[in-house]
This record gives sequence, structure tokens and C-alpha cells, in this order.
Amino acid sequence: MVIENKDRSWGMVIDTDKCTGCNGCVIACQVENNVPLNDQNKFERGRVMSWMRVERYWEGEFPDVKARFIPIPCQHCANAPCEPVCPVYATYHNNEGMNIQVYNRCVGTRYCANGCPYIVRFFNYWEPIWPEEMRNHLNPDVTVRSRGIMEKCSFCVQRIRRGTRKAKEENRELEDGDITTACQDACPTQAITFGDLNDQESKVSKLSKDDRSYTLMPQFNTDPNVIYLASIKENKEESQEEKAHSHD
Amino acid sequence: MQQRKSVTQEYTNSVLLNGTLETPKWWPYLVSILLFFVLVGIGLFFVQIYFGLGVTGLSRPVYWGLYITTFVFWVGISHAGIMISAILRLTQAEWRRPVTRAAEILTIFSLLTALVFPLIHAGRTWRIIYWLLPYDFSRGIWPNIRSPLFMDPIAIGTYLTGSTLFLFIALIPDLAVLRDRTTGLRKGFYTILAMGWRGNPRQWKMQVVGGILLSALMLPIFVSVHSIVSWDFAVTIGVEGWHSTIFAPYFVIGAVHSGVSAVVTMMALMRWGWKWNDFIRPEHFDALARLLTVVATAWLGFTFLELIFALYGLDAPEIALREMQIFQYPWNMLFLLFLLTGYIIPVPMWLFKRVRTNIALMFWSSIMVNIGMWLERFLIIVPGLARKTPFVFTWEAYSPSWFEWYILFWSFCWVTLLMLLFSKVFPLVPLFEQKESEVFSDSVKIGRANVPTIFREEEE
Amino acid sequence: MTNQEKHFWPPSDPSVVRTELINNTKKGGSTLRTIVVSLILLSILIIVGIIGKVIIDGNDQTQWGYVAAILAFILSATGGAPMVAIAPLIAKASWARPISRIAHIIGSVSIVNVIIMIPILRMLPPLIVDGTRRRSIWFEAPNYSPHFWDTLGLIMLAITGIALLYSSSIPDFAVMRDSSDGIRKKIGKILSRGFVGTTVQWSKLRMRIGILSTLYFFVLVFVHFIISTDLSMSMVPGWRDAIYPMYHTMSGIQGGVASVIILCWIVRKYGKNQNYITINQFWALGRIMFATSLMWIYFFYSAFIVFWYGRSESDAAWLDLLIRGPMMYVFIIAMLFSFVIPWWWLIWNRVRNSFNGPFIGAIIVLIGLLLDRIRLYVPSWSVDPKLIHDKWLTEIPKILYPDIWDIMIFIGSISLVFLIIIGLSRILPLIGVWEIHQLNLLSKPGKFMKAHGIRVAKPD
Repeated sequence: MVIENKDRSWGMVIDTDKCTGCNGCVIACQVENNVPLNDQNKFERGRVMSWMRVERYWEGEFPDVKARFIPIPCQHCANAPCEPVCPVYATYHNNEGMNIQVYNRCVGTRYCANGCPYIVRFFNYWEPIWPEEMRNHLNPDVTVRSRGIMEKCSFCVQRIRRGTRKAKEENRELEDGDITTACQDACPTQAITFGDLNDQESKVSKLSKDDRSYTLMPQFNTDPNVIYLASIKENKEESQEEKAHSHD
Repeated sequence: MQQRKSVTQEYTNSVLLNGTLETPKWWPYLVSILLFFVLVGIGLFFVQIYFGLGVTGLSRPVYWGLYITTFVFWVGISHAGIMISAILRLTQAEWRRPVTRAAEILTIFSLLTALVFPLIHAGRTWRIIYWLLPYDFSRGIWPNIRSPLFMDPIAIGTYLTGSTLFLFIALIPDLAVLRDRTTGLRKGFYTILAMGWRGNPRQWKMQVVGGILLSALMLPIFVSVHSIVSWDFAVTIGVEGWHSTIFAPYFVIGAVHSGVSAVVTMMALMRWGWKWNDFIRPEHFDALARLLTVVATAWLGFTFLELIFALYGLDAPEIALREMQIFQYPWNMLFLLFLLTGYIIPVPMWLFKRVRTNIALMFWSSIMVNIGMWLERFLIIVPGLARKTPFVFTWEAYSPSWFEWYILFWSFCWVTLLMLLFSKVFPLVPLFEQKESEVFSDSVKIGRANVPTIFREEEE
Repeated sequence: MTNQEKHFWPPSDPSVVRTELINNTKKGGSTLRTIVVSLILLSILIIVGIIGKVIIDGNDQTQWGYVAAILAFILSATGGAPMVAIAPLIAKASWARPISRIAHIIGSVSIVNVIIMIPILRMLPPLIVDGTRRRSIWFEAPNYSPHFWDTLGLIMLAITGIALLYSSSIPDFAVMRDSSDGIRKKIGKILSRGFVGTTVQWSKLRMRIGILSTLYFFVLVFVHFIISTDLSMSMVPGWRDAIYPMYHTMSGIQGGVASVIILCWIVRKYGKNQNYITINQFWALGRIMFATSLMWIYFFYSAFIVFWYGRSESDAAWLDLLIRGPMMYVFIIAMLFSFVIPWWWLIWNRVRNSFNGPFIGAIIVLIGLLLDRIRLYVPSWSVDPKLIHDKWLTEIPKILYPDIWDIMIFIGSISLVFLIIIGLSRILPLIGVWEIHQLNLLSKPGKFMKAHGIRVAKPD
């Protein structure tokens, strides 16, 4: 199914200054994408599946302790280290700037997960089980994966497809804001913005050129499509220092 | 100290065929026990297919653990074959003679075992089996040649094919001996395989030239197989401690260290099991131990280089990883054990001739080396995954489940079982090599000493 | 080459051997005198070149890349030569006996490295520049550690090389004392230190040669390690390449073997030593050079694939600086001359089984080695010193061409190398007398049934 290519490059801007660490994006993603449920055993064994995860770091000594949050979805790197290593081509880069995971091609060697420096890829160690009562909430637009398969954030590709199809049916251009991801919808502070980075007028494009913008781990040269905005510090020097350190 | 005594060809034949034409007393018992363990292992594998890889101790981000460690370990052991039979054949070292065939089949069986492990470790084994074959089975998509995980089976498959051909060419004269000493169905089997061998000069020349050509062709494979396996790790930028250029020669020399030690273990077992004391002599262990000392020291040099350049970049995540690997429990115990068993205990032992010619000591030191080498692979693969990049929030521990330990144990049972079955059908020590060395060796008086000599044909 | 030429062998009468080889030290006449005088004049160019360059470019580190490249080239082309004598000694191979002296002599010219190191000591930046320490293998060591240890290493290499040459020549000094006259008799008397050939003296001598050989190997590897990292890797920000020292050592051994082949060819042709340096030596040396060419591509590719696949910032910078940037043509020719052409040339039996074949291969290898060292050192020194503390290289320096001082230093150092070799050959036979005696004792050519061959004795 080939979508009309308008040289799009789907991307995301996440404002860490606005993020409160509420994990609403995590829940929304789980519901939207049929991500398997996590129980205590999974946390203990280190097998938590959350396509969007919020990492929390403590800063400072008591009583001046601060919590710093950073939501990390798949960065959809243009120079992805996960793509060349899959022996069966189950992950590839499409013509809209996204890194796509093909579930029914994946054989679960987990090599892509090792290559990813952002640790955003997840493996189904067990067959996912949903209790009887919860089976009706599964999203029919998204594949339900079985055991042995890798999965990760897809920028809600089903919503992108639906939005693009709808625009085509209505014989109009796709506009900025037509397509939103689940995490973007759920965020109470609107820390997450999603859109076409190639469209110079889009919100995400303008935000990505902000003074506070940075990408994670630039030394790996992954060229990610997820851009972060640094939190605003109380004094300017601290924020300059942080920007310099983000290159480490 | 040369202990060879001149033996007749009849004696050579009867002693070396005592495993094939007759059966040692312990053979049926050992084979039954091993068969039991192997079948249990195969059953457990199907359990894993049914329930999923959750039965292992793997997690996120430690996605690769014991299975991949054991995979690399068995590929490493397989380098014994080429080292001993091909390289020593090309450099015309006489002391290789009793061990060439055992080394070659150790190679073949360890490669077969190594090939099984990617199937065991994959999430959907039932798909990987045919999607890794070089054919566009589904929707015209070929396997990804750029992936080191695809280059692995190509390299291992090539090595396997070459080794099997090499083994077969070296087997032909012995198959003819067996053909002439058996009757009935067995005779028919050996007749077909011996391909009409009569032992005339033309056939001998072809056999020798064939062996030399294959040895030379296999040399690039010797270097490339383990290099390609090492590039599974080295080309990945996402894991600390993996993206190092030294991996290829480091793994190859570690493989020679590990493989030749495995051959020493095997030789000792062969001498004790089948009582081949006249053919597997302390002088062979002496020569192997000397080779091992050189190889092990080179290996230690490479380990040192790898560590120095890991720290060289002054990269905080890499330094944190090394600190954990060397100083934190439980990694520090494993690291110390690895250094002790891989080099510090065996190699100084081997500097003494009394140790080199003592077969029991060589046996135990070679087992120690392989424990150390298995730990080396483990320490390269797992710590980097457990401490992935600067995302401290997502660091994770790894404790292998009993499932994985059993599969590791199963791989040893499997290889031993295959070797024992092989010994019943084909002789483990090449008869014609022994007879050839009888013909070529002599002794000459130099001054007052009687020095053994070998005749070397001039190369054309 | 006629069938008769193929079966050349040193004469079996020891006194004939002695006279012929000692005569080697006296041969030469007026041609040699002219050559020596020209070499002396050309060697002075080193001093002129160094002084000139210090005056003109004394403050600009980026202009000194060629001097570092010349140092690395001489180290690589001569330092590895004794390995041709050491490795066969450990493996008890007798073909290397006639050429051991040549190998040791080439290994004794390391004093030239120390001379070229002097201006480099001045230009090499200290570890701490502008208050920050750059990445190096010296971590927290004192500021001028590279300067100290690199010079110490080169001096140790020179001393060990000369000590090894001396130890392995003691019996020949004794021969000169007993069979020469004039100044050679005096030198022989002093330097042989009472060697008369008793059993105890021989065993002590063998032990000394063994220990010095092992020491030389370790010093060689150490020197390659520190010179390659301090004089190139450490000068480029973000270049972290664990295989690089071993790659440098390996191509150094390839260069050493090439130098031995060239000198053997000259000695055989112009010294008329057809009986001593026979086709056996060239056959074996050709094979070794073929193998080292393969090692070159293997070690190079190990680094290349990791950086090409990884695509991170420092990986891409390495590729730009050394492969596909300003050094692209130098790289292509260096690879052609170090691997592609030697490999395709030496793979043919007829080429290896001749005298000119390996000789031509050796010349090509040395040209490739020079270009390779230029490729590695010139861009490294040309990097803007202000960038040294960056995480990765962002600005690729433009190509630098050699100036007249660099060319003078190059011509001067090559001339000095030849001068030292010729000087040594006047007081020491280029083909070891005792080594030929040993060859005659341990290897006897003969017939076995219908085949021509050599009966090789293998004492313990």
C-alpha cells in the first residue's frame, strides 16, 4: 500500500521543561498500540514494555532534591544503527522519515535492540496475555504481536495512515495538526509536538529550531527525528553548561 | 625426548582400528547417558519454543546472554581443526600426525553445534530457518547481506563445507583399509565411500595435492570466520565495550587458544579411552603446549591492548563499564577467574617441560583454559549490555536461568556424543599419517648424538 | 632456472665454507669504495635537512608530518627484519640459517631512528596543552612521557638489535680470530671473548640468543605500539583504534621481510653467493611475504569495517582523514602496493620459485609501506593543534606536500641505513659461518626413492 509521497519527514519535539513526569504519554501509547501489560514480575525481571518511556533522574542533595524527567520514544533516526543489522530486513527506513518495524517478518534475533543506543526497542519474551475483560479495548488498527517479536514506537503509524487516507478522500492537502500521536494527545502540558519536519510552516519545524533544542547523543551521528528542548534554568550559565554537556 | 618406537603397519592398523572394528567396554554406557541428556535438551528446546524466550534470564537491555556466548565459544573451538591440520600441514610439522583427524571432526561438530545456537536464541526459530537461506522465499525479499548475523551462517557454512571435504579427502585411504577388513553391509558402506582407492602412486599424489590445496584455500576461512562472528559485536555503536577495531584478530587468536586447548583435552581422553599410548605420546603434548604458550601470550597482548584502548577515549560510559567489569561484584570475581584460568595459571605451568609432558596436568590445564575462554566471551558480551550508554535509569542485571545453563551443558554432551558415534564408524587417528611418518623418519648420527630426522620432499 | 641451479647447496667441507665466507668481508674493490663515498656524502643530508627544517618550520608542528612518516618507515622497514631469523629459530626450521646474519644486520640500523627522533622530540607537543591533557595511552603520566618513552624505546630497540647481532656473531668472530689476518684478526680476538666452542659455551650462547631474540620481539612490539599511537593516533582528536598498533607492527614485519629479501638478492648477485643463498630461502621468504600481505589487508579491514559500519562522528572522521579525504590517492596506491599487487604477484608458484620474483615483490612492498606511513602520519601531524581537545575531528586538514628538507632527510636516512649495513659487512661475514656449519650438520640434501629432498634433523 503505497502512500502518496510528499517528501515528508515525520518528527517530534519534546519540551523537557514542560514535562511533569506524569507518564500519561506512556499509558496512552500502551492503549493505542496494544502494548502488552506489565506486571510486577516483568519489572523485577527487567522486561517492561513501554514504547514511550519516561526516565527519571534525581539531582542534588536533600533538601534541594529535584527530579528531572525525559520522555524517550523511538528517535526514528535517519542514520539508524538498528537498520543495517537485521538479517531479515524486518526494520527499514521508509520514504516519510520513519523507522518501520515489520512484525510478521521479525524472527527475534534482537540484534537491532543491541544496536539502538537509546534502548527504545522491546522484545516479547512471553506470549502477551490480556485478561478477558480487557480484550475489547485492543486497537483494531494495530497488529497484536505474539512472542518472539521486536516492537517499538511507530509514531502511531496507523494514525498517520488514517489521516493521510482521509485527506486524500476529502481531496485536500494534509495540514499541520491533522495527525497527532497518542502521546501528544494525552500530554496535559502539551510537551510533545508532532508533525512534518520538512514543512517549514509546521509547529514542530519551528520548535525544532529553538535556541534550547538538542538531540540525544550526537556523537553517534544517528540524526534522530526527535528533538528535545532543554529545560529553562534559573540562570543562563547553567543552561549553557547543560547544553555543552548534552554532547557527552 | 623422542619416545617413538618403530611399529609395523599391521600393528598400526589393529591398534588404531580398535574403536571402529571393536567397541571399548565403556562406550555403550557413555553413549546412552549422553543420548539421554541430549534428548532432554531437545525437549527443553521445544518447551522454549512453546512458551517463548521468557524461560531464559534475558531482559532489556541484556538481550544477548548465555546462548550467544556459547555460540561464539563453539565457533572458537572450531578453529582447532584448521590450525592443526591445515596450518601444521603447510608448515610440515611432524607432530601433528595423530591429532589431525580428531581436530577436524572437533571442528565439524563444534561448527554444527555453533550453527544450532542462533536457532535456539532467536525469538521465532520456525521462521528464521528458511528466511536466512539465500532465497527470496517470501514476497521477493532476500536476506540482508549487510547484517553480520547473515554473514555468520555464510562463513560458518563455508567453513563447515570446506572442513567436511578436507576430512573426507584425508579419510579415503583409511576407508580403504576398513573396506578390506569388514564384511557385509559395512563393507558396502566403506566401499562406496572409499571411491575405489587402490593406493597406487597416481592416487596418492592426487590425495596429497588435494589436501594441500584445500589447506591453502581454508586459510582465509580460518581467519575470516571468527572475524565475522566478532563483527557481530564490533560494528555496533550502541553498546559500550563492543565498538572496538581489535575484535577480529583478538577473537581469532582467542579461538586458536581455546581450540588447541580443546584438542589437548581430546587427545588426553583419546589416549586414556582407547589406549593409543604408542601413537599419542608425551612429545605431542609437549609440542602443543609450546604452541599454546606462544598463542596464549599473543592473546594476552591483545587483551591488554583492548583494555587500554577502551580506556583511551576517556569516554565516561566506557570507563564506567570497565570499572564495573573489574571492580564490582559479581563481575570482579568472574574477571579474576577468567584471567587466572585463561592465562595466569596454565601458561606459567607450561613453561616447564615436566608439566608439558605430563598428560594429566595438560588435560586439567586445557580444561581450565576453556573455562577461562568461555568466561572471556561472556565478559565481552554481557557487561556492555547491562550498562548501556548513559541511560542509567534503564541499566539491568543478568542472571542466567537454569534453562540456559542446561543448554550450555547440552552442547557439550551433544559434541561428545557425535564424536563417540564418529569413532565407531571411522578411525579417530589417521592410519595413513602414522604409516607415512614411519616411512619418512629416520635417525642420523651427528657427533655422538643420535638425532631423529625427517625426509622432506623438495617443492616443485 | 636450470634443474642443476635448483639443487645448489653450501659446500660440505667446513674449511671451504669458512674461507669463502670470510672472503666476503674483503670483496668489493673500487666500485664499493665509490658507493661508500657517495653514501657518506648523502648521509650528511640528514643533518642538513634537519637543521634546515628546524630553522624554517621550527614553530609549526603541522609541517613535520613527513619527518614522522620517515621515522615510522625506517622503523617498519628495518625493525621487523630479525623476525626472519627469530621465528624459524623457535620453530627449528633450518632454511633460515644462511640469511639470519643478514636479518640481524638489518635489525641493527635502528640508530637511524634515534637520529630522526631528535627533531621530532622538539616538535611533538606535550600531553598537557592549554591546561588540558589530550587523549593518549599515557593517561595520568607526566607531561613529557611520550617523548621520554618513545626515545627510550627506540634506543632500547637499537641496543637490543646490536646485542642480538653481536651474540649471534660470536662464533664468527672466533672464526675470524683463527682464520683471518690483520685488523680482522684483532677485531675477532676482542669480540669473540674467548669463544672456543666447548659444549658449555655453545649452550650458554644458545640460551643468550634465545633470550635476546624473545626480548627483541617484545621490544619491537612495544616500540611499534608507542610510536604509532604517540606520533599519529594521539595527535588526532577522536581517533580511537585498538588494532592500529598491531596493524603497524604487522606491516612492519612485512617491511622487514621485504628488506631481507632485497639484501639477500643483492648479496647473492653481487657477492656471488649462489651456493649459500639458494632457491630454498627465496621460496620460503616469498611465502612469508605473501602471508604478511594477507595480514596487511586483514588488519586494515578489521579497522575499516568497524568504522565504515559504525558511521558515528569519530568513525566518519577517520574515514575522511585517512581514506576518502585528501589522502585518497595515496591510500589507493598504498593498498595496491601493500596488498593487491604483492598478493597477485606472489601467489604464483613460478614467481616464488625464482630469485627475481620475490625481489620485485619486495620492492613493491617497500614502496607501498612508505606511502602507507605517509598516509597515516602526514594528516595526523597536519591537524590543527587547536582542535586536539575536541571530542571528534571536525576539520579535515588540507593535503601537505613534502618540501626540500623532508626529501633531504629521507635520502639521508636511507643512505645512512645502507652505509651502516655495508660497514658491518666489512667486519662480519654477511652469511654466518657457524650458521652454515649448522645447516650442513642438520640438513642433508639427498634422494629418497625417486624423489629429491632434504633430510632434516630435529634435535631437541
